[in-house]
Amino acid sequence: MDQRIIQLSHLIQFSDATFPVGTFSFSNGLETASYEKTVHDAASLEQYARAAARQAAFSDGVAALIAHRAAASGDYEALTRIDRQLMLFKMNDEARLMLRRMGKKLAELGVRLFPEAAMLSRWLEAINKEETPGSYPVAQGIVFQLAELTEKDLYASSQYGVINMILGAALRCVRVSHYDTQEILFRLASEIPDLYAEAREMTFDDMNCFVPEMDILASLHEKGQMRMFMS
Amino acid sequence: MSDLQIKREYSDSPAVDFSHAREMKPYLAEPKAMYVGCPGKHGYLNLGFELDSEGKSILRHLDRRAPLIVQQELYFDEKMPDMPCVYILSSGGPNVDGDRYRQDITVRKGAKAWVSTGAATKLASMKYNYSGMVQNITLEEDAYLEYLPEPIIPHARTRFICDTTLTVHPSATVVYSEIYMGGRKYYNGGELFRFDILSVCSHGHRPDGEELFREKFIISPDRASLRDVGVMGGYDVFANVIVMLPPDKMEKVYAATTPFIDREKRLAAGITHLPGGAGLLFKVLGMEPGPVKAVVREFCSSVRMAVKGVPLPEEFPWR
Repeated sequence: MDQRIIQLSHLIQFSDATFPVGTFSFSNGLETASYEKTVHDAASLEQYARAAARQAAFSDGVAALIAHRAAASGDYEALTRIDRQLMLFKMNDEARLMLRRMGKKLAELGVRLFPEAAMLSRWLEAINKEETPGSYPVAQGIVFQLAELTEKDLYASSQYGVINMILGAALRCVRVSHYDTQEILFRLASEIPDLYAEAREMTFDDMNCFVPEMDILASLHEKGQMRMFMS
Repeated sequence: MSDLQIKREYSDSPAVDFSHAREMKPYLAEPKAMYVGCPGKHGYLNLGFELDSEGKSILRHLDRRAPLIVQQELYFDEKMPDMPCVYILSSGGPNVDGDRYRQDITVRKGAKAWVSTGAATKLASMKYNYSGMVQNITLEEDAYLEYLPEPIIPHARTRFICDTTLTVHPSATVVYSEIYMGGRKYYNGGELFRFDILSVCSHGHRPDGEELFREKFIISPDRASLRDVGVMGGYDVFANVIVMLPPDKMEKVYAATTPFIDREKRLAAGITHLPGGAGLLFKVLGMEPGPVKAVVREFCSSVRMAVKGVPLPEEFPWR
């Protein structure tokens, strides 16, 4: 049996926009950006998606890699540590909510896909008992490890997820076409290797992000009335 | 005379160590002029505010090493005339290649203080090394501190790293503000976002060591466009204000603050909760330091209103 074909099929499954972790309910501030006309066409959408990808590249992406390694070595303490640390680093309520919701959904789904995996069921139990926040990148790290997917697979999927979430939301709230969003997605993929090269060396101390305009948009959403998306 | 024969003297300021900072690794050459750590470019400041026997807040403890200077506390805040106010000055002018600074500010139980800088902090162009600053800001029970320095102006090819530890009792309040300009906007036809790197990390803790939040930005314009929508977009000035305060006061301030994007004035601000119930984070983007400072002051005023029941006084016309 060609194991790699199975792995790639799982990679596609976990990265698919229809994978039921709730990606479609979040826009990462794009709903507000569109309303405020900060994002209004394909060019500004591409910049916004790039900013979001970079923001995740050195925070969520780093946490996912650390979790993947911890899961590989069976280090449960390291999982809880990076989970807590990532939450210390998330500077807005909606972002924290998004990571926790998606993380819990992925853990719930994961225990069905990998019923034998003791660490994952322990993880879900800890989330349910509120012993750990249960962020999405950490759940991704565990699940990708169980599916025998590599760090690079995980990182690509993590970046793809962030970019595709925004582009998916864009089709519903920005005047762009499917052609535009696919072109953007295709182009941004070529930027992921450089981000990975940096992120793979990073620890919690190195995590960083700088997206002040996105932060302000997120704040307008948090205090505003717009509710097509949860962020 | 070779390097080995020169007797090197080192400042007795506490060490400022950024050897762990991966992002500064490309900037570790020894400056040709004055070496890293030599007296005069390794500044130290230790300010201790506390209540005197009559219950008045005073600057009880002051220790300093050049180029950092604090003279004495003044009581010039018309709305809080019993609050000691201090300006931090630097005899060296701008931060230069290989500078190290350490600033410790402690506000003891029940005391209050206001700290700022006398003028904008200029970060000069650097060729060999970087300029680094470590700050430890500690607030005991019911203490109150407004730290509102003037903007920081990064010149072309500068490198700066700053690490700020805020250790704050749950009953205390600190307003910690930083304003970064994109550069010398009008110098030599414009010098915006031409620096090598700014690495800024601020983290909050409780006195028992509990970690509350950690924010870090590494900005290097050569590696990623700051002009992207979502990053700086079309804005030139950025302010970041961390407020740690008791939960009831926090909700008052949060409710009283309206985020906005003003397209005409090209000014925007947002507010959110820090993780760990630690407080609030307020961000401002604008085109010029004046309007950004005004928004930061207005926000600080609402914090002061919620905690002390009075607003900030009007800013001095020369500031």
